Amino acid sequence: MRPALLEPRARSTVRLLSPFLLGARGPMAHKPTSRSAGSDRSRTTPGRAAAVAQLLHHECSVLLELYRKKESFTKDLTVADGHLVSVPPQSSQLDDRDKLWRLHSALLQCRSLLERAAAREEEEFGSGKKGEYETQRNTVKDRLSYLIDSTGELLRAADGKTVSTPDLGVEVKSLFELKLWVYRVFHEVEYWAKTASTTLQELSVSATEAKPRARIPRTRSARSARR
Amino acid sequence: MSCFNVSPFTLVWLTCVVLGLLVGHTHAQVVLTVPQELSLSPNKSTQQLSISWLGGDATYFDLMILRTELNETVFYETVSSRVNPLSGRHHWTWTSVEPLECTSLSVQVRSRDGQATSEWSSTQILQGNDIPSIEKSQMFPQDRIVYVGSNTTFCCIVKEGNQFDTIHYGSTVMNVTRLSRRTYTITVTNQMPSQPSGTNVFCRNKPDLCGTVVFVGYPPQPSDFACETKDLKSAVCYWNEGRDTHLYGIRRTLYSLNNRTCVVSDTEKHKQCASAQWEGTWTLKAKNDLGQYTLSDSAEIRHRVHPVAPQELTSVAFSSNSTVQWKWKYDSYASLALVCEVVLTSQEFEKKYTFSGVGLQSAFFSDLYPDEEYVGKVRCGAQQNFWKWGNWSEPFNFKTKVSAPDPPDVWMRMNGDDSVQIIWKRLSRKQSHGRITGFIVTLWSSEEDLQQNHFSANTLTVSINLTEISTLSRDRKVTASIFAKNAGGLSQPANLVLPLHFTEPTVVSRVVYSDGGFPLSWQSDANAPCGYVVDWHDAFCMPNCSVEWIKVAAEITDISIESVNFEPGVRYNLSLYSCSSEAPKLLHRWQGYMQELVPSSAVSQLIANQQDSAVLLTWKEIPLFNRRGFLQGYNIYISNGSQLTLLANLLDPGRREYRVQGLSEGSYKFTVKAYTSAGEDTGTTSSITLETPIYRFILAILASLGFTSLFMVVVAFFCYKKRKWVKTAFYPDIPEPKLPGDWSRTQRPLDVKPSPHSMVHIVEKPEWDSSKEVLIAIPEDNEGEDGLGDEPADTDEPTSLRYYNQVVDERPIRPRFPDSSLSSTSSLDSGRTDVTYTGIQTSGSSFVFQLDSEASSEDHKQQLAVEHSASCEDGGLGYRPQMQPSAPSDDMGPMSAEAFDDPQGGPGSWGYKPQCSWHLDSPVEAEESAGFAPSLGSPTSVASTQFLLADGEEHVEEKRQSSTAATWFTNLLSSTKQ
Repeated sequence: MRPALLEPRARSTVRLLSPFLLGARGPMAHKPTSRSAGSDRSRTTPGRAAAVAQLLHHECSVLLELYRKKESFTKDLTVADGHLVSVPPQSSQLDDRDKLWRLHSALLQCRSLLERAAAREEEEFGSGKKGEYETQRNTVKDRLSYLIDSTGELLRAADGKTVSTPDLGVEVKSLFELKLWVYRVFHEVEYWAKTASTTLQELSVSATEAKPRARIPRTRSARSARR
Repeated sequence: MSCFNVSPFTLVWLTCVVLGLLVGHTHAQVVLTVPQELSLSPNKSTQQLSISWLGGDATYFDLMILRTELNETVFYETVSSRVNPLSGRHHWTWTSVEPLECTSLSVQVRSRDGQATSEWSSTQILQGNDIPSIEKSQMFPQDRIVYVGSNTTFCCIVKEGNQFDTIHYGSTVMNVTRLSRRTYTITVTNQMPSQPSGTNVFCRNKPDLCGTVVFVGYPPQPSDFACETKDLKSAVCYWNEGRDTHLYGIRRTLYSLNNRTCVVSDTEKHKQCASAQWEGTWTLKAKNDLGQYTLSDSAEIRHRVHPVAPQELTSVAFSSNSTVQWKWKYDSYASLALVCEVVLTSQEFEKKYTFSGVGLQSAFFSDLYPDEEYVGKVRCGAQQNFWKWGNWSEPFNFKTKVSAPDPPDVWMRMNGDDSVQIIWKRLSRKQSHGRITGFIVTLWSSEEDLQQNHFSANTLTVSINLTEISTLSRDRKVTASIFAKNAGGLSQPANLVLPLHFTEPTVVSRVVYSDGGFPLSWQSDANAPCGYVVDWHDAFCMPNCSVEWIKVAAEITDISIESVNFEPGVRYNLSLYSCSSEAPKLLHRWQGYMQELVPSSAVSQLIANQQDSAVLLTWKEIPLFNRRGFLQGYNIYISNGSQLTLLANLLDPGRREYRVQGLSEGSYKFTVKAYTSAGEDTGTTSSITLETPIYRFILAILASLGFTSLFMVVVAFFCYKKRKWVKTAFYPDIPEPKLPGDWSRTQRPLDVKPSPHSMVHIVEKPEWDSSKEVLIAIPEDNEGEDGLGDEPADTDEPTSLRYYNQVVDERPIRPRFPDSSLSSTSSLDSGRTDVTYTGIQTSGSSFVFQLDSEASSEDHKQQLAVEHSASCEDGGLGYRPQMQPSAPSDDMGPMSAEAFDDPQGGPGSWGYKPQCSWHLDSPVEAEESAGFAPSLGSPTSVASTQFLLADGEEHVEEKRQSSTAATWFTNLLSSTKQ
């Protein structure tokens, strides 16, 4: 269930820095990016990435539950509406590569948000002890990183350009607002994990249907690489 | 009236006082000015409001604080305020329970002098955050840090236009108080420590949410602060965190050592902070948002030496000693007096050594076991002004070399078959000093080797034939020497003088296992200079069985024998031997059980034998192996249905029988259970059925018969001897009637004419039974049916009676007329026909006693003659034969016996039933009484049976054979009469 309202105060205090505003290139930017070293592209498929996304979605749900329990938040607690992640809107005009780029960009922003949230929490409340919540938070972060790598490989395989990690700033006035912001971050990660699962499954089906056609860009990419 | 006598001076004084007071009062009213320039200065973090004003000379002021919006009084008191000499303003600080942002406050002041007050000053308002210009929802105080147990009031300012819902403290929904149109408060009392991320306090005001976080904790309280040195130059200070402050992150406790910030681990309870130089005095400050705590320490550097761990350890090992060396990290240790602790651990033990010395760098270990691997570690401390042990070094190890083994522990066991079993214990690792390669057993006598044998390392016993050895020995003293050998050489010999004779113990006593062993004690024996040997084994030990032993010093006379091999229910023999230069001598033997159990089997062959009315139970003893304890006796039970009833408890375990007395005839089950201290066995049951002995029964019958026969003989003899007296007493002779005329003895019907007063109804029985003869009385004239039904009674009409023989039923017939039998009781006993004045009556005896068939046959012949003549000469004058109308017969046959059986058989049976026997001699007498037959009506003696008995001696004898004893007796008397 999505939050119904966007809290104006939260909108004003949490400064969302869109990757587009930071100069990150979209699919039309054609800015070359470095590939992940040591990655095994041949083993990454949309279906496998979809499974990772599904797992991430489940782990996000667990993390949210642990956070609610830790902070005595009830499920009906209203958080500000709207997304912390800024990506181009979903459109039927987007082809598979653009969809993948959009997803990859959103996941990168999610990881940035998640890392920032964890850092702020450690800074404000860190006791040095690793409880169940902290462990689950790290698990989500690691799984998200794996999914980002997977989508990045798929994006490169589709001859798309990856994006650099955006810098999402956060400004909160009080600790309670910080907690609400962390809560929103977790919701955001959960949302994009679910979106990733759906999108990757669609891409998987699409790739299966148009398998011969999918070889073309790969061949072209390999040729251009040789040049 | 002296009391009203006031002097003029007094009046003047009073007047002055009154005037003075009036003047003063007038002057005060003038001085109380209204406070001016009221000023408010809030401190929102401390929730304090500083109020100042210009108030003239007054020292007392009334202070009133109201919540502006609802005009509720928050504070109203008279306070004392001094004037700031520099500014001339009065100051007063008020601390609010609620955060000052919660709602607007209005403040007024007025001067007071006693009861007199000035006017209120102008109102000063401290605006809260609930003013309309601040529309958003807010929560106060923000991110407050408070002590555990304190009380805090939180307020929620609802967003303009929103609706207030609830305020939560953690997961608790709190009760709220409304302060203004948009402000609501809660107060949390006695707050508990918060979690690391604090406790959330949030306000739901639909659709918004606002909140704050409160941290509840303690100020720091570290302990055990001390500083020490490792390198004799720098310092490291340690302390314990102490109580958990419950404040983490940026609110955690910060430490400083001598005003230098210390970076400490958040997760460790034990903190430490280093200092490059030994300062001698240190101050630790611990500080968090709730408070600060300071600890101090001071010491000389040589008093706080905490050595580092030795390093680079090396060792040199020999068979029984070794040397270990190490180095120090700091050269400064070379001049430091150290004490070092070394722990050596081998496979089976751990030992601690202590060494000391200036700059100590090595340790020597002696008394080590050969061929043993050792692992050690070292730690050191300052020998002088010891502070604490340093850290343990890394472990080092070495292995000692192999050497000759220890001599084995040797003992022997006499097998009882003229052989001795030499046994020795396997050498332990400590004793073997290397791997044992074998044993050598040498038998010698007077320095002369008789035999030498080599055995493998696994051999632990050798059997020696004493007879064979003794023939080889000249001095009858043979010693066995046992050597163990390994790569290091031969061990010293273990000598044992062999006893050449088997001796049995003279005394065997019992010993009770207690406290984990068999406690044995004995008298000191002067012939045991080298002590004693106690050996033990299973009491059922067969030759070459397992034997354990222990050697005891001479001064010891009591010992507890303990062994892991002891088992419950097994009897052990424990033997004490003296040790001397001669062969071991058996001094004493004990037997005992580690734990007694119930016998594993019951007594066998339980047999129950009847002895008269008693039962003798016998059984066999339980085999020794199955007893599993010392038998204490037997319990004898008798089965009573499914239950056992204890009959006896036999305390003698050697008893094998028990006699059960006083049993009646019947079946019994007996159960015998042996018992030990642990309880009874399952028991053996035997059954027996008690019967009266048959010979006793036969003997009783024979005795009864004998006595009866003897009695009869005596009676018969008596009667025979006294027959005259008996006859006189019981059967006097009936005097013969003296009749005139000649009474011939011709045979013809006896016509008897009864007297008119003696009528006899004769029943006619036409049937004839050739086998039986009776006399039938035939009435002279036919009488009607009426006459048949009459009872025998006297009639008025004299009737002539004719008698002849007639067969009668042999069976006894109950007399039909009890009166008749009663009237002739003596006749029943005498078995004769009574003839009384009432006529001829048939005595009971004629019905009771059977007639002899031959006699009856004899009589029958005679009767036929009589009958025949009667039938020919009847002519209506004499008696006619009595006939049975219902049973017509062609001839005058004998009367049917059935006719007598059934009284209803016919009219004829109702009549008189004449005497079955009729003596032919009597007709003489009958004839003598012919006509009126006076004899019938005369009171003839009832004892007279003369003519009713069969004549002849042989008849008497025949009847005696076939009749009862009474008949026999009667006949006997009759014979005596003749």
